[in-house]
Amino acid sequence: MKPQETRPKDICLDCRQLVELDVGDITKLPPPYDDWVDEPIAEVPDEKRERFEASLDGVIGNVIPVPGTEEEKQALVEKFLVGIDKLFSKEDNWTFLQPFLLSIENCVKCNTCADACPIFEASGRVEIYRPLFRADVLRRIANRKRSKLGALTGRLTGADIPVTWETVARLADLAYRCTLCRRCAQDCPMGIDNGLIAREIRKLFSQELGIHPEELHGAGTMKQLHVGSSTGMNPMALADILEFAEEDIEERTGLNIKIPVDKAGADILIMHNAGEFLSWPENLQAFAIMFELAGLSWTIASDLVGYDSVNYGLFYDDIQYSRVTLKHAEVARKLGVKKVVMGECGHAHKAFMATGDRMWLGESNIPRESCLTLMEDLVCNEKIMVDPSRNDFPVTLHDPCNITRSMGIVMPQRKVLKKIAPQFREMTPHGVHNYCCGGGSGFAIMQSNNFPDWRMRIAGRKKFAQIISAFDDCIGPETNKYVCAPCSNCKGQIRDLLTYYEAWDRCRILYGGLVELVVNAMVDVKEGFLEWDFH
Amino acid sequence: MATVTLGGKDVEIDEDGFIQDPNEWNEDVALDLAKTEGVEEMGEDHWKLVHYLRDYYLKFGIAPMIRKLCKENGFSLKYVYEMFPSGPAKGACKVAGLPKPTGCV
Repeated sequence: MKPQETRPKDICLDCRQLVELDVGDITKLPPPYDDWVDEPIAEVPDEKRERFEASLDGVIGNVIPVPGTEEEKQALVEKFLVGIDKLFSKEDNWTFLQPFLLSIENCVKCNTCADACPIFEASGRVEIYRPLFRADVLRRIANRKRSKLGALTGRLTGADIPVTWETVARLADLAYRCTLCRRCAQDCPMGIDNGLIAREIRKLFSQELGIHPEELHGAGTMKQLHVGSSTGMNPMALADILEFAEEDIEERTGLNIKIPVDKAGADILIMHNAGEFLSWPENLQAFAIMFELAGLSWTIASDLVGYDSVNYGLFYDDIQYSRVTLKHAEVARKLGVKKVVMGECGHAHKAFMATGDRMWLGESNIPRESCLTLMEDLVCNEKIMVDPSRNDFPVTLHDPCNITRSMGIVMPQRKVLKKIAPQFREMTPHGVHNYCCGGGSGFAIMQSNNFPDWRMRIAGRKKFAQIISAFDDCIGPETNKYVCAPCSNCKGQIRDLLTYYEAWDRCRILYGGLVELVVNAMVDVKEGFLEWDFH
Repeated sequence: MATVTLGGKDVEIDEDGFIQDPNEWNEDVALDLAKTEGVEEMGEDHWKLVHYLRDYYLKFGIAPMIRKLCKENGFSLKYVYEMFPSGPAKGACKVAGLPKPTGCV
């Protein structure tokens, strides 16, 4: 079937693969990438298809084992149907029932969401990626179940999708072709949140069928709860990393800085995404330098889970989300800090603040603040002194969806950049209308099978086009350029994009956070904190 | 999960070819893993890096940060990529018998 012709009812078709993707359909890039040709997305070998579902679009994202027998398939279908009932009941879905019901019941099918979705657009309008497609499959199945007259009237009321194993398996995968960026919800005239619907489908599969990407669950929240971090970083490794960070700060800046650990009663407990400790140590070092030179009372926590702000439960499972956030709250409460500051991690902002507001109750209701507003205070109120000429190179800003669109934090990072980066230029569009990096909702860490091929070519296409367009006046490799992305997950995705599109070698585009730029401009820090070395 | 022959013995690997049990690792296993990563020949510096990664992993349960491994071995990141074309995390760690990196790294 042509990818542009599939309809929601086709999801149950008994065929090897519903949609064949063609990289020739993917939207073209602006110069100097107008002649860019993508290699096809790697084929899933037949022996793997016998073990894992690849019947949606030939991409393995949410790794779903193929059930061995018809009975097993039927048992999973039954669990799915029980899960549908639970999504619609207030006893079982106290977290998101209201916005979920509003989104299921009030869509007028105007398809404004389709033009807002970067994946649908970049794919060349592959129908299964249309935000309404996924939502409509769920809506029709639910209508059929919930209608008093059931299947008899189903065809008349748009409730005509048979729930077979094919339907269930494809829907489980389809929930992982959306980055939950919620740009569709931003644009919807009815306020329908198709991102939430995708997320609730993920929840159903995780909580009722035990189906979830290993990176988010086994190697994600479970590992975090048992070892302390989804990266596997235990408290002993943390101590080693901090010791190295202090030495490295001294070498880079000449400053002798001690990173405070478990300082009870500190004004600020900063929680970083553990990725900063392992992949982007300059980020956590920059925070340490900025806080110390600003004379702040601060600490990091060494308690299990307390040193890794990630909470992948946000992306797929309310129970796992709750376990992790309660642990974070307990660490903050035990230390008796005055507030918790979120480092440069988008989903942690949402997990600690917007969603966290419903879990951090009573004694645990400790104020939480974004590092971006804190930086705005330090830079704009001149609590640290900066020399913007040190950042005299083109800088553009990526808006992490969870910080900007979800939380409404739009101006603080821009006020900081206007003080420290004389060649700052916006992407088009930006702010709450930004495009997702393509790695949102856990995609950036889903590195298995052929999912990264799909993520680079389709999910991240719009963002890469935006990045090169923002630098179209200086795109050549003779000018160093910087994409400021104040979010670990986005940084991972942008690193992978710049690598896939060879943009460091071809265009000299580097990426990093915001705090590194701040420290690079600080007059009390030796020049050259920022290293023009792709990593 | 699949079982393959590496260094003359049966070893379990994940979908991306990382071995599952670090105890199964030895230099013969490493030589076969290196072939899957496009490493033609394991020279002195390859071994130095691989042993460093493995020792760090056995001590701390994770791979070291890339900046630290470069600094402590006196290698530039560029040189690490020259030795292991798929990079330190995917290439060098796989040859050293570490599991696939997890989390936002």
